[in-house]
Amino acid sequence: MAKYEMVVGLETHVELSTKTKIFCGCTTAFGAKPNTNCCPICIGLPGTLPKLNRQVVHYAIKAGLATHCNIAEDARMDRKNYVYPDLPKAYQISQYDKPLCYGGYITLRSGKKIRITRIHIEEDAGKLVHDRGDTYVDYNRGGVPLIEIVSEPDIRSIEEAREYLENLQLIMKYIGVSDCKMQEGSLRCDVNLSLRPVGSDEMGTRAEIKNMNSFSNMEKAMQYEYERQAELLDNGEAVEQETRRFDVGSGCTESMRGKEDAQDYRYFREPDLVPIHTSPQTIQQLLQQLPELPDSRTKRYLEYGIAPADVASLVKYQAVARYFDEACQGVENPKTVSNLIVGQLFRRMPTDEEKETCTVAEKTAPAQLRELVQLLESGKIRMNLAKTTLETMLDTGKSPSQLLSAEDLSQVDDTALTEICRQVIADNPGNVADFLGGKEKALQPLIGAVMRATKGKADAKTAQKLLRELMACAQ
Amino acid sequence: MVTKEEILKIANLSKIYVSEDELESLTHDMAQIIAFADTVNAVSAGTQEFEGISGRSNILREDEVIPSYPREEILKNVGGGEDGYFPVKKKN
Repeated sequence: MAKYEMVVGLETHVELSTKTKIFCGCTTAFGAKPNTNCCPICIGLPGTLPKLNRQVVHYAIKAGLATHCNIAEDARMDRKNYVYPDLPKAYQISQYDKPLCYGGYITLRSGKKIRITRIHIEEDAGKLVHDRGDTYVDYNRGGVPLIEIVSEPDIRSIEEAREYLENLQLIMKYIGVSDCKMQEGSLRCDVNLSLRPVGSDEMGTRAEIKNMNSFSNMEKAMQYEYERQAELLDNGEAVEQETRRFDVGSGCTESMRGKEDAQDYRYFREPDLVPIHTSPQTIQQLLQQLPELPDSRTKRYLEYGIAPADVASLVKYQAVARYFDEACQGVENPKTVSNLIVGQLFRRMPTDEEKETCTVAEKTAPAQLRELVQLLESGKIRMNLAKTTLETMLDTGKSPSQLLSAEDLSQVDDTALTEICRQVIADNPGNVADFLGGKEKALQPLIGAVMRATKGKADAKTAQKLLRELMACAQ
Repeated sequence: MVTKEEILKIANLSKIYVSEDELESLTHDMAQIIAFADTVNAVSAGTQEFEGISGRSNILREDEVIPSYPREEILKNVGGGEDGYFPVKKKN
C-alpha cells in the first residue's frame, strides 16, 4: 500500500473557437504565416484600446453553465503584469478577483465530484520560436481568447486527473466553445501536486507543473512528480513550493523558479474596459442554447440497457451520439442500433477524426439504419442478413428497401423451414450419419446448408431444433 | 515606509535598471505617491465598487473578422523583423 496520497488541482486553459480575438477583430485561424493575423491592438501598440468580444463572454458563461457554475452578476477585467517577450503589452488582460463563473463541478464515473473553483476569460500570449539560441516571436496567437478553468485540489490519482480532463474536454466540445485539440494547444493544463501521508487531512507543499499538452505527458509528469516528492519526504526533506517544467525527452520535471522568484503580478483593474454585468435573462438564453450534455446522455443510454463500454464510445463522439439518437427514433430496442454502430459503422471510421464528424452519415443516413433495424425487429429479416445488408448499404449508400428483394423480405414460415430441413437431411447422408454416430460437430454443416437454402432468413436456433427432431425421427 | 529594497524589487519586476544615484530620490518619490494614495483611500466612497468613470457596463463588440494589418506594417518598428518574426534582443 502506498505511503502517500497525491493531492492535485488542475488549471486548464481552453482556447475558445470564436472567429476573432478577444479584444480586436483579427482572425483566430490556426496555421497562418507568422504575424499576419495581427493589428496594433494585439501587438500592444501604445494608444490602442481593447474592445471585448461578446462571443467570448457568452462562450465562457456557457462553459460555466455546463459545469454547474454560478455566473457572476458583476465581473471585472484585470491586468496581470509580467515582462516576457510573448506578451507585447507587458501585461495580460485577465480576471483576478471577479471572474465570470465560480463554484461548479465535474462528476467522475465513480460519482465523485471534482469541484471547479472558477472560470475566467483572458487573452493568450504570442508564440516564441527558438532557433539556434535566438528567439523570435509570432503574435498570431496573441489575443486569442482563453478560458482558464481552475479546479479545487480534489483529485487524488492520475486516473482521476485523466478522467476529469477528458470530461472537461468532452463538455467543451459538446457545447461548441472549443475544439479542444491538445496537439494544437487549444487545450493545455497546469498540474498542482502535493503529497501527504495516507489518512492525513493536511495539505502538503505543492509544486506546479506548467503546460501539459497531452494526456500522456500529464500522466508521466504526475508520476515523476509523485516519486520525486515521495523520495524527498522519505528522506525527511521538505518539498519546495515552486514552478516546474516537464521535459518530454527525459520524462523528468525540473525547477523553473522557486518561491523566492515567485511572480508578483501586481494585479489591478483594467482601466480600459468596463464591468461585465450578466442578467438572469442572458443566463436563461444561454442555458437554452446548451445541447444535451455527456452526463445526461450517458445516463440515458445506460437506461437503454447498452453496455457501459459501448455507451462510452457512443457518447465520446457527439456526432455519433446524434446519429444514434436519430436512428433510434421509433425503434423498439436501441441496443440493436448501438450494436450495429459499434460493431459495423465504427469499422468504417477507424480514426477519432472520422468519428468526430461521423463520416458514415454521408453515405448512410440514420433513417436508413433505422429502416434496417425495423425490418429486423418486425422479423422480416434475420440478423445475419441485416449485417450483410448493412455492409452493402455502407458501400453503396443505398437503403434497405433498394437492396432487399421481395424474396429476401418474405418470411420463412415453419412449414417451409421443415421442408427445407428435410431436403438438407436427404442431401447430406454423410453428415447425418456422423451426427447420429455421436459427432455433435456434424450438425454445423447442416445448419449452414439450411441457412444457404433460405438465404440467411431462417432463424438458426429454430433450424437447429428442427434438424435434431427430424434426424431423431428418421433414426 | 518605502525601502530601497522594495524599489529595487519593483524595478526588477518592471525590467528597469535603477542606478545607485537614482535610488534615493525614487524611494522618496514613491513614499510620497503612496502617501497620496493613502489620502485618497481615506475618503469614504461607500461599499459599492467603482463602476468606472462612464458608469457603463457591457460595452461589447460582435465577433466579426476585420482584416489584419499587412505584415510589413506590423514589423515596421522592429526594422522589418526577421523572416516575418519579431526578433528578441538578447540580454547583454
